[in-house]
Amino acid sequence: MPEFSVIVGPQHPALKEPESFTFWVDGEDVVRAEVRIGYAHRGIEKAAESRTYIQNILLIERICGICNVAHTICYTQNVEYLYGREIPRRAEYIRTIIEELNRIHSHLLWVGIAGHEIGFDTLLMYVWRDREVVMDLIEEMTGNRVSTALMTVGGVTRDITPELATRLRKGLDILEERTKYYEKIAAGESTILARTKGIGILTRDEAIRHCAVGPTLRASGIKSDIRADDPYAAHDEVPFDVITSDTCDLFGRVVVRVYETIESIKQVRYCLDHLPNGPIRIRLPNTPPRGESLSRVEAPRGEDIHYVRSDGSDRPARYKVRAPTLGNLAGLVEMLTSKGNYKVHVADIPIILAGIDPCMCCMDRTARFIEPSRNKEWVWTWDQLKRYKRRSGR
Amino acid sequence: MNLEREEKLTSELRELLGDRVSDIKVQRARSIFVTVKAKDYKESIRKVVEKYGLTHISTITGADSGPTIDVMPHLSYAGTKITFKAAVPKTAAEIDTLTDILPGAVMYEREVHDLLGVEFRGHPGLARLVLSDDWPNDVYPLRKEYKVVRPEPIRKA
Repeated sequence: MPEFSVIVGPQHPALKEPESFTFWVDGEDVVRAEVRIGYAHRGIEKAAESRTYIQNILLIERICGICNVAHTICYTQNVEYLYGREIPRRAEYIRTIIEELNRIHSHLLWVGIAGHEIGFDTLLMYVWRDREVVMDLIEEMTGNRVSTALMTVGGVTRDITPELATRLRKGLDILEERTKYYEKIAAGESTILARTKGIGILTRDEAIRHCAVGPTLRASGIKSDIRADDPYAAHDEVPFDVITSDTCDLFGRVVVRVYETIESIKQVRYCLDHLPNGPIRIRLPNTPPRGESLSRVEAPRGEDIHYVRSDGSDRPARYKVRAPTLGNLAGLVEMLTSKGNYKVHVADIPIILAGIDPCMCCMDRTARFIEPSRNKEWVWTWDQLKRYKRRSGR
Repeated sequence: MNLEREEKLTSELRELLGDRVSDIKVQRARSIFVTVKAKDYKESIRKVVEKYGLTHISTITGADSGPTIDVMPHLSYAGTKITFKAAVPKTAAEIDTLTDILPGAVMYEREVHDLLGVEFRGHPGLARLVLSDDWPNDVYPLRKEYKVVRPEPIRKA
């Protein structure tokens, strides 16, 4: 039978974000997959070059809604590295607290989505109800549910009062109880087992070869976590276990994320118990010295890496962001390819896609500023576009 | 900050790469920048990858530095970020691919090719990654000469 191509996307192939996949199928089996990204390319790296270091905090925060804390921590510490200054310990602890709360929210969101993709919508409803607890905690701590705007160059903008700490602890108790319940469900519920075991396989060697990151890498049995390997903020003091699973399939990815949520709850508790006294930020001059710097953060989806170059002005000369999803894309294509006894079925495509917890707008970033014309030999300038618009009376 | 480990690693790298290295500096704890010439780029990375058994490439940054473009692959060795830096002239922006040493570089080289116009010799397929299909071939948005034109409000005459 000849191969047949099925195009999925660019309208929400799994999560509600634009990405286009072409699947070459033979009957029900996916023979190979191709991916085309860039639909959410917004020009953030170029835009960062024309904004000051302070303005860029807001821009970088908008790379991604869900993992905004990971990106802003990565950005602010990168700029602090340029100055060569250490920030107060209390600020580092507060950063760790909000980062872990963000991870709890992201992982719970993912567990709900995964439930939805395998047709287990009850799980989605339950998990997202409980996720409201952590959303409320983030709101109490920062004033916002999603974009936290807590980071600034030199520290954080809001402190944690003892009353807030008490409320955070209460919320964490509820979250821990509920997450332990989901841990039981994930390990024993027949719907989950049937739709995740042996599906979306990424072996240990493939994961290493394709440089996978985050929970996807750890679910392939590799103990790698930036928080442990290259500690930042307060992670050098806050104890936690790097969760791995050697099943190398979707089931492993569910297990890793659920256990990581529990580890995150423990880390927030530890931070609250050991919160050092002192200031929450230092003032830094507007212009960092000349130089370049690299910083890494373990975002909920994996390694997030930022590069900055300063030419001595108040704006970065180059800002580069690599979000974790791009690192997992090659691994994703591998998971979607049937080989030997391992068959990928068309019906499993959505959950395999969702399995890496893709965040397309993180990954894409840069954009078309001016829509180039269909004629490939020239580009319309803005003036030409304006003239066109006037002429056509639109 | 105790940088003993990094100092030891830099002296090992110096010894391994010899005069291929034109500059090496410790940026901070667990971050090292190694500058090499474009012609020694692949060979030096191969040596380091083989000696330390590196498998992970975090990304490749391309940066416009006036007449040249810096190509900077960021490798990871036991938590330490090793960044190589090689400058290629803008007029002949070409460098060897790393995809046969580190297969994870495929996407990152496509991205640098897309946005800065660096050709990677020997890459299995430098197709468009992030830019749209109808983007003109010789316009590279992350080069400094590409200026973003700010939209202005249009007033009817």
